[in-house]
Amino acid sequence: MNNPPPLIEELARRFTGKLLLKHELNVTQRLFDYLTKHHLIEPLPGINQTFHINTCLRCMNRKPHLFGKIPSNSTSPTIYCKNCIQMGRVSTREPLYIWKGPQPKRPVVDQPLQWHGELTPLQEKASDQMVEAIASQSQLLIYAVCGAGKTEMLYKGIAHAISQNKRVCIATPRADVVKELAPRLRRDFPAIDAAALYGGSTEKDFNAHLVIATTHQLLRYQHSFDVTIVDEVDAFPYHHDRSLPKVVKRATKPNSTLIFLTATPRLDMKLRIATKQIPTVSIPVRYHGHPLPIPTFKSIFRLQKQLEQLQIPQVITKWINEREQSQRRFLLFAPTITLAEELSKKLKIPYVHADSPDRNYLIQQFRARNIKALITTTILERGVTFPSIDVAIIQADHQVFDEAALIQIAGRAGRSAHDPTGDVTFFYELKSNAMVRARQYTINKNSEAERLK
Amino acid sequence: MYCHICFKSMQEETTWKDLLTPKLFEYICTECEDQFERNSSPTCQKCMKRSEASICHDCKLWQQILTTDPLEQNISIYTYNDFMKDAIARFKYRGDYEIQMVWRKIILETFKKYFIHDKLTIMPIPLSEERHQERGFNQAEALATSITYEPDTKTLIRIDSGKQSKKSRYERMHSANPFQTTQPPPKHILLIDDIFTTGTTIRQCAQTLKQAGAQSIKSLTLIRS
Repeated sequence: MNNPPPLIEELARRFTGKLLLKHELNVTQRLFDYLTKHHLIEPLPGINQTFHINTCLRCMNRKPHLFGKIPSNSTSPTIYCKNCIQMGRVSTREPLYIWKGPQPKRPVVDQPLQWHGELTPLQEKASDQMVEAIASQSQLLIYAVCGAGKTEMLYKGIAHAISQNKRVCIATPRADVVKELAPRLRRDFPAIDAAALYGGSTEKDFNAHLVIATTHQLLRYQHSFDVTIVDEVDAFPYHHDRSLPKVVKRATKPNSTLIFLTATPRLDMKLRIATKQIPTVSIPVRYHGHPLPIPTFKSIFRLQKQLEQLQIPQVITKWINEREQSQRRFLLFAPTITLAEELSKKLKIPYVHADSPDRNYLIQQFRARNIKALITTTILERGVTFPSIDVAIIQADHQVFDEAALIQIAGRAGRSAHDPTGDVTFFYELKSNAMVRARQYTINKNSEAERLK
Repeated sequence: MYCHICFKSMQEETTWKDLLTPKLFEYICTECEDQFERNSSPTCQKCMKRSEASICHDCKLWQQILTTDPLEQNISIYTYNDFMKDAIARFKYRGDYEIQMVWRKIILETFKKYFIHDKLTIMPIPLSEERHQERGFNQAEALATSITYEPDTKTLIRIDSGKQSKKSRYERMHSANPFQTTQPPPKHILLIDDIFTTGTTIRQCAQTLKQAGAQSIKSLTLIRS
């Protein structure tokens, strides 16, 4: 069987830098046999077994309860990984395939960026540092407050990388962010080939210049990106899951640039900043230059009890009435879905949570100013922008609201340049450390910004 | 223990009862268990389809096509709701074998309730060799092992390929019989399968077995959709 080179080139574009299962290759059995015979693709074991500890080589899962066993009459049982089974089964019998053939070529785009916005001096500084990091193939942490305009900051760096024929990836924790980001980037980089990947997306990455993906999509990559931008390093899947940093590391090429973005670094990042293990750019000011709104604390006696008895304290109703009188729109954060539901019934305000069916619709309506208010759980804590709103947290002393969550929630207010102030109120019963730290963070950032002026 | 569906850790309280009775393994948390929906009456007496009539339209149609219906009775446990769809997709199409642990208890209970007094040979619906290779296991056999450790898998074999779930209703009801027997079948048989949709597969099996000399054939399926 003689294959014309264009086919090989096409396959190279599809498979290079990826770890794929046989069915994900999506080729006929005949072509598959040809590819293996000529060592154009090579199998890698899917599951590594050393000293009875299994490791899934796709998702780096090592937890014993996330491995399953399929018994067999004739041979030894098959071990498979349950953690990443939604992407197809990896097992001791189903290897992952990597491309070993010729490397594909990407068309070079000289002037990829078609954006004529203005950057603030601080954003400019961060952009320059990013370009430098890309040139020197090092790491960089961009420590910017909520609403600092992180996306615009990245433009220059992305453009620089693409013009040098480098492959760029933006990994963010949530599919919502991918959906919001991809059209913006396509508009501002019209000439490049971009792919937006999230669970359920139909787009395919054929060696694109720019890949915008949820962090989980990077499970399918190995040594693929020259520049990887990890958005919200402190957010749920990346921070929570020990294997994801390994996965991101694997998706990057050996000599490549890693850029982290965060507004609220966790302890490990803070230590790395303090010990100067990672170069950091700090941006304490929002793009419109106004200070961050400082949260107001309102203590309510027996708040928990009152809520359990389905009474809404007067302080809260007063706050809501004030908003309604002055025609301000607001977000109410509740710690649990059940409380959100009860509040919603009582106050006659719609609520959203992670599994609510009309979640996207309600968020859309709220953004379009058709709804005056919305009750939400922590799902709207980050990554979303609503212009000119006020924010209140009910039971801010609840354990789900840690420091990062409180800072992010406070960061929802006052995001637009026309209306840079917004009210942030924490309703609580017992003041928690996280609340104090969140307020201190805002004060610190504001004074840091003051010093820069 | 961890739930086999949501992988969350399940912590149960230790009570005085644990001292006296051996602790049973739990494979599913209560939240996940509540989302499975039991098949409730009124149903067709024969195939357990949700229907007001005692014999449903489908069964009557089969009667017309086959003149004598080879299937005596079908018992199903759950309905095919969205949560079940996800679970079955993970079990069959993604190949999460261990998810069947969740249903072992209820399958055995149902078997005891309906079939314990009949001397039945347990026979899972076979899978074609090709699909078996691809999936690594036979889902019906996996479910059958919750009743007996040695279900009869030798008598019946399947020749065709082609996914049932990709065919239309008409294609399914009129497709050629892919099953064959390799040896004389036992007299009383209980067929086991994961899902009963139109009943084509089960009836094709039953017909093959009847023609080879079996007397009565019943079926136990996890889901009636």
